[in-house]
Amino acid sequence: MSGFPRWRRYIRLVRPDVPADVDEELAFHLEMRVERNIALGMTREAARSEAIERFGDLTHFREQLVKHDVRRQSNDERTEYLRDLAQDLRFGFRALRRAPGFAAATILTLSLCTGANAAIFSVVDAVVLRPLPYSRPEQLVSLGTGAAGEFLALRERLRSFSQLAAWVEQTHPIDDGQEALRVEGAAVTTNLLPMLGVTPQLGRGFLREEGQPGRNNVLLISDAIWQTHFGGTRDIVGRRILVEGTPHTIVGVMPREFHFPAATTQYWQPGSFNPSNVGATWGVWDKNFIGRVAPGVSVERARREVRDVWPTLRTLNPLWDPGPDYRRDVNPQPLQTSVVGPTGRLLWILFGCVVLVLLIGCVNVANLLLARATARERELTVRAALGGGRGRLLRQLLTESLLLSTTGSALGIGFSVFVVRWLLTELPPGIPRAEEIRVNGTVLLFTAAVALATGVLFGIVPALRATRSNVRSSAVGGGRRTSRDTQHHRISGVLVAAEVAFAVLLVVAATLLVRSFSALRTVRLGFDTDHIIAARITPPNRGYHDTSRVTALYEGLRSRLSALPGVTSVAVTDKLPIAQVVYGAAFRVQGQYEDAKHNLPSIGHLQDVTPEYLRTMGIPLLRGRGFTDADRGGEPLVAIVSESVARRYWPGEDALGKRVAPPWDSPWMTIVGVVPDTRQDSLRDTSRTSVYVPWAQSTLRYTSEMWVVVRTKREPAPFATALRSAVRDIDRTVAVSDVRTMEAVVSDSVRKARFTMLLVAAFAAAALLLGSIGIYGVMSYLVGQRTQEMGIRIALGSTAGGVIGLVVGRAIRLASLGAVIGLAAALITTRWLGALLYGVSALDPVTFIATALLFLLVAAAASYGPAWRATRVDPVRALRAE
Amino acid sequence: MSPRADPNDLLQGTLAILILKALLPGPAHGYGIARWIEDTTEDVLRVEEGSLYPALRRLEDRRWVSSEWGLSDNNRRARFYSITAAGRKHLRNEATVWLRYSQAVTRVLRTAPAIG
Repeated sequence: MSGFPRWRRYIRLVRPDVPADVDEELAFHLEMRVERNIALGMTREAARSEAIERFGDLTHFREQLVKHDVRRQSNDERTEYLRDLAQDLRFGFRALRRAPGFAAATILTLSLCTGANAAIFSVVDAVVLRPLPYSRPEQLVSLGTGAAGEFLALRERLRSFSQLAAWVEQTHPIDDGQEALRVEGAAVTTNLLPMLGVTPQLGRGFLREEGQPGRNNVLLISDAIWQTHFGGTRDIVGRRILVEGTPHTIVGVMPREFHFPAATTQYWQPGSFNPSNVGATWGVWDKNFIGRVAPGVSVERARREVRDVWPTLRTLNPLWDPGPDYRRDVNPQPLQTSVVGPTGRLLWILFGCVVLVLLIGCVNVANLLLARATARERELTVRAALGGGRGRLLRQLLTESLLLSTTGSALGIGFSVFVVRWLLTELPPGIPRAEEIRVNGTVLLFTAAVALATGVLFGIVPALRATRSNVRSSAVGGGRRTSRDTQHHRISGVLVAAEVAFAVLLVVAATLLVRSFSALRTVRLGFDTDHIIAARITPPNRGYHDTSRVTALYEGLRSRLSALPGVTSVAVTDKLPIAQVVYGAAFRVQGQYEDAKHNLPSIGHLQDVTPEYLRTMGIPLLRGRGFTDADRGGEPLVAIVSESVARRYWPGEDALGKRVAPPWDSPWMTIVGVVPDTRQDSLRDTSRTSVYVPWAQSTLRYTSEMWVVVRTKREPAPFATALRSAVRDIDRTVAVSDVRTMEAVVSDSVRKARFTMLLVAAFAAAALLLGSIGIYGVMSYLVGQRTQEMGIRIALGSTAGGVIGLVVGRAIRLASLGAVIGLAAALITTRWLGALLYGVSALDPVTFIATALLFLLVAAAASYGPAWRATRVDPVRALRAE
Repeated sequence: MSPRADPNDLLQGTLAILILKALLPGPAHGYGIARWIEDTTEDVLRVEEGSLYPALRRLEDRRWVSSEWGLSDNNRRARFYSITAAGRKHLRNEATVWLRYSQAVTRVLRTAPAIG
């Protein structure tokens, strides 16, 4: 207080009026002087002017004083605020030190909850929230996918865009003379990189003329492949490497943070359009179009224009009439939205779950604080009586809870660093922008906000309750058994019900996901996964454009691998189940769908296989025969179909001997065998219809990329090396990639589902744990508070069972209330899980009912301990305590 | 910190000493201080009375003086200033320096040849 003008404390009550104070002081001076002058015999007039003259420049001094006093006042306020804060903090620390168990439990709960939140938020921030690392990213729009002809036509017609660019993902074997690699890349129009506002970190970008056919043998490479494969040396620029066996020049290296269109993209090549090739220009709908909206044009208007203009291109297609529905469904989106894709929803779901956990944590802490406030009632009463105003007490209690939340959050940030590290290793492939995930400034800010919000959230109710203290009732009644207690019990009850509701919601979601995942993992695949290893073989186009060369490669591979000890069989196929996207193929069926102009049935997939394929994959033959080496070119064409093809087109008949064929005028193939359906595209795949044709007779092959599948007697993983070296020994320009056991192929395909399930299940487990701790805590507290009541009940002849029933019953009632609310919330929200679910309905009654029962059980179990303690109350002592 | 940190304004330092000295007997309002200086110096050191107030603020900022509102002899609300312990100490130091300085100047002026 020293050095502090005392009067300020009172004037503070009203908003201090600095100018008025200054005026009053100066007026007093002048008036005193005037009075004295009059007393000395001057006239009032003369006295006034003498006084003013003596005083000097009144306006100047007044101004100077007001300015000074205003500044000093705000300094004082700040000082006082800081002093109060320091005092609150000191009190807070002291109070927490006196209750180390409470402080530790609270801080631990909060740090785990906040840490999990910060970790998930750092993913959400990196993937969804942070603007794309391009210039003016908000102007970038992804228009959709189409043919080169459409791109050229749109570029001519659209007015809302300042630029339009196109790209298509492509995969090629590249070869630097050391090693052949199958690398993902993209062909881009030469204006794409400038449009994004990205320049290479080394070398140059593409020149305009490099977009001409025949001029595009130049590459930009990613920082990642530069570092890992090319040694990261600056002389990379100008180096020539083989792409598909053709020499290309590396002209530059893109910045490390550039990942377009995907994190796996390792090189960029100028795409060229050749309008004179009508088939390629209008027949291949695989280009992705993106544009930059012109300055002053809204993204919404640009999207509308695309939706209006694109369908009008229908008449331009020289190959066929795409029909009246042509491009009616185009839906241009901000680039950010299209980059994030469905991952955004997944992340928001995870974020929602982790926020629920945090809320449950807050409820627990609030309950602890409530109980503590009651225990500290005397202290608070005394402080209130000693003149600490309600505002001041409130502030002190909130400072205490903020102290807890801030400490918890600070530890939580440390925790989140580890969680993020773990997340990065567990993150399923295909999460866009995953490489940007880290605990950064934004995450720290978020955590600070969480600390503040949670501190107030769990602190405010207990603080309000505690400071509503009525001095008289507490001091007189000793703080016991007043109406305040009933009120307190009601608040505790509401908090328990709330946390049960949150936890029920989480457990329902987790159960649905766990059931989906287990349904997914127990799906009947139709093939074996054990003792099989597979690899993708990519020969360069150049040197492998004739079939005989390709055949020779695979024949060589087959004989080499078969000779390895421990190998049972070796097969080659153009598609490996579950390992890649499978497109449907149209088919003719003799006697049913022969005319190509009719709508042909789409068969799930068409697969070229060598004779050993079925045996190697463990696909049993249901009828007929498998392929043999005799089924080769020049011999009668044969096919094997899956069960559902046979059933659909020849129900009740024998499919053997029937004939199918690809569209147009391909020759008929006779069905010689029937096999079970297999999952092809993914484990969720339901279009299980398949047609297998012998590799040696295949007429449809348009890619030389193949898979080799090896069945082994022992654990298959160690064969990876042998597989690679076998290919290298035959031709080192052939790239080998995706060498994985079938087990790995299948489990990799569900990594996203597994990841989501694991996280949500972990959150649900945390919720369940926190919920039971919460119920236990509140029940223990209530029993403690009602010791006398229990004593009286026992004295009046209540049995132990009665007392236990009373306490457990109350817990179950609270939990039921919470469960009902939680189930209602789940009814509304589980549908957001949508595509994450498999084989179980979002409203699965078993899950809902089981979760509700689980929580009643938890409530009973968590309250049994406190209830049992209640039966041990000694009635005499309890009553005497009164 | 000493007022000599502001050596280009001799009067500021002087004024500070006068005010602190005026407050030694007890709290006084601004007018009282002005009157005390007037009476004590027999109106020789005639300061611009308005400049007392900024000077008081400066002394307050340095914690040599504190102030509070009170009632004057004629029962009017006035702001009273009082000297703090630090103020007394400062006054003592300053007075020593000042007396030595003025004695030295006096001695110089008294040496022959006498002025006028």
